[in-house]
Amino acid sequence: MNAVQRFIRSRVLLLTAAILIVAMCLSVFIQTQSQAALNRTVDENSRGLYDILVQAKSANSKDSGQLIQPDIATGQGGISFQQLEKIRGLDGTSVAAPISLVSRVTQNLETPRLDAMDYLGYNAGLAGGATAGDPTGTDAKNWPAPESVLSDQPKKYRLTATAVSSDGVSDHTLFTTSAEGTLGKGKVVEQQTAGGKSIQITGPAGETGIKFPAPAGGSEHNLFNLSVALPMAPQVTESVVAVDPTAERALLGSAGDFLAPLQKAPPADARNAGAIGRYFEQLFAKSPTQQELEDGPDFLGVKLKYWAPLMTQYQQAKLAGQLTDSSQAIPLIVRQGTSLDLKYSVKIQEIDDSGKVIKDVGTVSRSLDKDYLPFVSRSPFALEWPGSTDHSQLLGNTGNFSQGLYQPAQWTTDFAAAPKYKDGDTSANGAVQKSATPGDWVTVNKLPEKSAFGAIVDQAQRTPVQERSYRDNLATGSKPATPLPMVYGTFDPAQIQKAAGDVNKLPLGGYDPAPMTLEKDGSGNSTAADVLKPSLSATGLVSQSAGAITDYYGLAAARGYTSNADVIDAVRVRASAPGNWKQAQPEVDKLAAEIRDMGLEATVVAGSAREDANIFVPGYSKDDAGKEAALGTVQQSWVRQDAADAVSGSLTSTNITLLFLTLCGATLLTGASTVSYIRQRRSEAGILRAMGWNQKKIRSWVLEEFGIGAAIIAVAGIALSLLSWNLATAIVSASVLLIYFAAAFFAAQQLRHRDVVDQEPQHDERLIAIDSPLTFAYRQLATNRFNSIALAIAVGVFGTAVGALIALLIDIPRAAGASALSGLAAASVALPSVILAIGGVLVGLVLTLVTGRFELHAKREQIGTLRAMGWNPDMLGQVRFFENALVGAVALVLAILGALGLGLLLAPYAALWAALAGLVAVLCWIPIATKVVK
Amino acid sequence: MTDNLNPELTTTTESTDESQLTRANTIVRAEDHARPLQLSNITIRYGGDRGGAEPVTVVEDFNLTLHAGEMHCIAGRSGSGKTSILTVGAGLTFPTSGRVLWEGDSLEQMGDDEIADRRRALIGYVDQGGALIDGMSALENVLLPAVPDGEVEQRTEMAKDLLDLVGLGRRMRHRPAQLSGGERQRVAIARALILGTRVLVVDEPTASLDRASANRIISILKDTTNDGIAVLVASHDHELVRLSDTLTELN
Repeated sequence: MNAVQRFIRSRVLLLTAAILIVAMCLSVFIQTQSQAALNRTVDENSRGLYDILVQAKSANSKDSGQLIQPDIATGQGGISFQQLEKIRGLDGTSVAAPISLVSRVTQNLETPRLDAMDYLGYNAGLAGGATAGDPTGTDAKNWPAPESVLSDQPKKYRLTATAVSSDGVSDHTLFTTSAEGTLGKGKVVEQQTAGGKSIQITGPAGETGIKFPAPAGGSEHNLFNLSVALPMAPQVTESVVAVDPTAERALLGSAGDFLAPLQKAPPADARNAGAIGRYFEQLFAKSPTQQELEDGPDFLGVKLKYWAPLMTQYQQAKLAGQLTDSSQAIPLIVRQGTSLDLKYSVKIQEIDDSGKVIKDVGTVSRSLDKDYLPFVSRSPFALEWPGSTDHSQLLGNTGNFSQGLYQPAQWTTDFAAAPKYKDGDTSANGAVQKSATPGDWVTVNKLPEKSAFGAIVDQAQRTPVQERSYRDNLATGSKPATPLPMVYGTFDPAQIQKAAGDVNKLPLGGYDPAPMTLEKDGSGNSTAADVLKPSLSATGLVSQSAGAITDYYGLAAARGYTSNADVIDAVRVRASAPGNWKQAQPEVDKLAAEIRDMGLEATVVAGSAREDANIFVPGYSKDDAGKEAALGTVQQSWVRQDAADAVSGSLTSTNITLLFLTLCGATLLTGASTVSYIRQRRSEAGILRAMGWNQKKIRSWVLEEFGIGAAIIAVAGIALSLLSWNLATAIVSASVLLIYFAAAFFAAQQLRHRDVVDQEPQHDERLIAIDSPLTFAYRQLATNRFNSIALAIAVGVFGTAVGALIALLIDIPRAAGASALSGLAAASVALPSVILAIGGVLVGLVLTLVTGRFELHAKREQIGTLRAMGWNPDMLGQVRFFENALVGAVALVLAILGALGLGLLLAPYAALWAALAGLVAVLCWIPIATKVVK
Repeated sequence: MTDNLNPELTTTTESTDESQLTRANTIVRAEDHARPLQLSNITIRYGGDRGGAEPVTVVEDFNLTLHAGEMHCIAGRSGSGKTSILTVGAGLTFPTSGRVLWEGDSLEQMGDDEIADRRRALIGYVDQGGALIDGMSALENVLLPAVPDGEVEQRTEMAKDLLDLVGLGRRMRHRPAQLSGGERQRVAIARALILGTRVLVVDEPTASLDRASANRIISILKDTTNDGIAVLVASHDHELVRLSDTLTELN
């Protein structure tokens, strides 16, 4: 019988070689897949919209691997237009997009009003002319019958207007104002005058109307409703950032298409606010058509839809003397809606002459949210009396033009954009601790000094509200001349966020703010994770979502500089090098070095990822007694530099460790099967020795058989290595081969000649008497100590391996890091890792079963003997169970200690879980092994 | 071939189908004897259902009634089915067809637990070579059948007496590895008798033993029958065959 035949005959060797090859192929395959998934995830998510963040040298120097604050537009400037052009001129630059904070803009919202339906029906004098030429209007004969929510006889009402703001954590009532008066159904009064017929709408006899204090007007009847002017809504302050539309579109791709109209905006030297205002006045002097008014008049090739707010503000600024020769019109794209939380409500009560409430008509309210457009919002707080129907559409679109702001917006540069934070500890799982540095208190909730008609406004109507400022004053040029916001269009902030991507959400500017979430209150208790809202002052911790984006070149003028100074806060540079972050890295580094040579700070952000920073916020609010209270801990996504390297490196290590653990299982399996082989062949070796074979010949005889297995493993390893072309595969293949060779030499060594002389003493009667399956099992294990210990060690190793695998699996998220990329990467390798771990567990299980096989033949005979002696199946089952349970008890200690040790080594915080997993693994092994022996 | 070794025995021949591979000839005692073990129309067939191997019928239509105090020997060449009949009789394996009755009760009607309990009370089985458990002394081996009923302590003296009886009173603390083949066989017989067995089923008790050892085993077996114990023994030992009360020779 030659070596090949002997190898095939020796099932143990065949099984070992087969299991080793399968384990090798499977583990390498899974590890390769896992690594590929990891690389793919990291590559796909680690090169954001730009590769390098350029800031002025004065900015905090950034070390590699640090967290980058999302508010990169600081208002501090420091980069000149010349430097920008120079960056754009570098060979490696694909896009260089500048960004700066322009200003803080305070604006009074349009005066709110309450409309009570009081539709008086068709009247040719009032409606006929308006509907005649308008195809969208309703024909006279189709107008419905008059309808009103008011009574013929005036009734007395009390209106209570309330405005409440919330920062997302607590509500703040800004004011509550009441007004009383009588209201009744209006009527059309036609009077014959000298010149013809006079048509008027008046209230019923005895109606007093309702008037809130100035600057609110009173109530008035018209064709469709009774309109009551309500107290003015609180001022809203927003920040405005400047970008270069062309560069921004190149950066954002199709998500930046909203910036297209800005590219047709007039150049910086053709934006005199007065000249543009006069141009529009002249345009309207020529009686534009209804369609022209709806579409917006043509302005340098762009239909300027929001002409009405521009003209309103122009007129008001001119009237107030704010418009100077230096005033510029600032081209803007404004965001749709706002995240500022401001709710305006009116409670309507019918009362008697003594002021007692007769009937609660209802409460109507409206919030400043998606309907709000900065600078041009038409009617953010137009409220409707309960039960009202708006019949004004009967006139068609006539008069449906936004009047915009009540007063010109006030532009100020007395703050810088980014809050300041102090570094705290970094916890074991990578979470970063910081604390916010509060600034001064800012007073909000004020009324304008004068009403629209110039009347002095009583400021006592409002109680000032103190808000904490987290921003510093910003040095600027001369006092800026009030710019004229010239709105070209709107953008959806959600689309910008989508374009920025979730994982590598690098700061795109003030129009893409990173939200803050309250995680713990001031006492350190966990909260329901409320998202913080911007404050009214726009200087709070959370920045108000940008009110607008302006054409970049209006920046210097808005800041009060007469010429283009160094007003660029940051430049976001995309390198022209193609490929993923790793492939582009050399070119990106080179480009960053060239930028640094220009005296600027260049931070490579390719390969970075979003990561949560925990920020403690002290002194956030004041109570009535003036005592300050902390907000608590908020969480915000910052950007971790070099996160991709960290994620890739740590998860690769985890992968390799998993592979190593699986190979450890294979090694133990080989050892176990080798011992089994030795036991099988020892008698055979004795016969050969009796036939005159010497030790050398017997060793060769054994090694020849192992050599066949080694050759098969080598062929498989080489094929696998060539196919995968991966160093890890080659190392694994070589390791498996080495293990097999070691086993072969060990086996050959163990088959040496031995004199087997039974020198055991007589039976010791002090041993525990055998009177039950338990004592029988114990005696068997005690008698066959070598096999019992070998089995216990094998099971212990199995438990240890399971514990270590569990520790590694638990540790994957921590090992990957705290960034969003790490979450994705960990998810991408989770399945292969779990499969690899299960593979390792199965190898370990097979190992224990192979080790248990040593005794299988003897056990079968024992069981047969016991059965012949009348032991019933239950008792035989108990014998098997107790044998495994006793082995398990010893293995349990080994498994727990081993798993704990390896857990502490691999992932200290998961060590207890590892120990628990080891314990469970051994406990599971006991019934499995019992079942298998059966 | 049928040998009538004792003139008092009556001979009954059953299953004379010459077309079968195996024919069993059974000689039984007088019907007034108690019948602790009966084998009725036993057929034992191996293989044939997996791996394409042809089925082998080793015993066909075999009948045997074993009476108390009787030693019945089953003789025959190797592979003739001796051990198979013994294991079927001891309820360790089940026949392909036919019935096994213990004191008139069919094993077919019993569950595994009941078979085990009844076997413990009725049958002492002595495997070829003794089948002692390593790591346990001769005394402990003898006491093993008493474990299920929790009677180890009560039966310890009896076990010692039995070991004395089989001539191993001074070897009771030795382990199987320290005993000779004949000694192991005697320990196994003592073990089979520990629970007051009424049927002793013994497989090749003298195989590979020297004559003196074999005679001693045969003597022990013969002595047991004097106590009313029925002995079913498989052997081709001429001396054992000669001393048996009845004989079945398997062709």
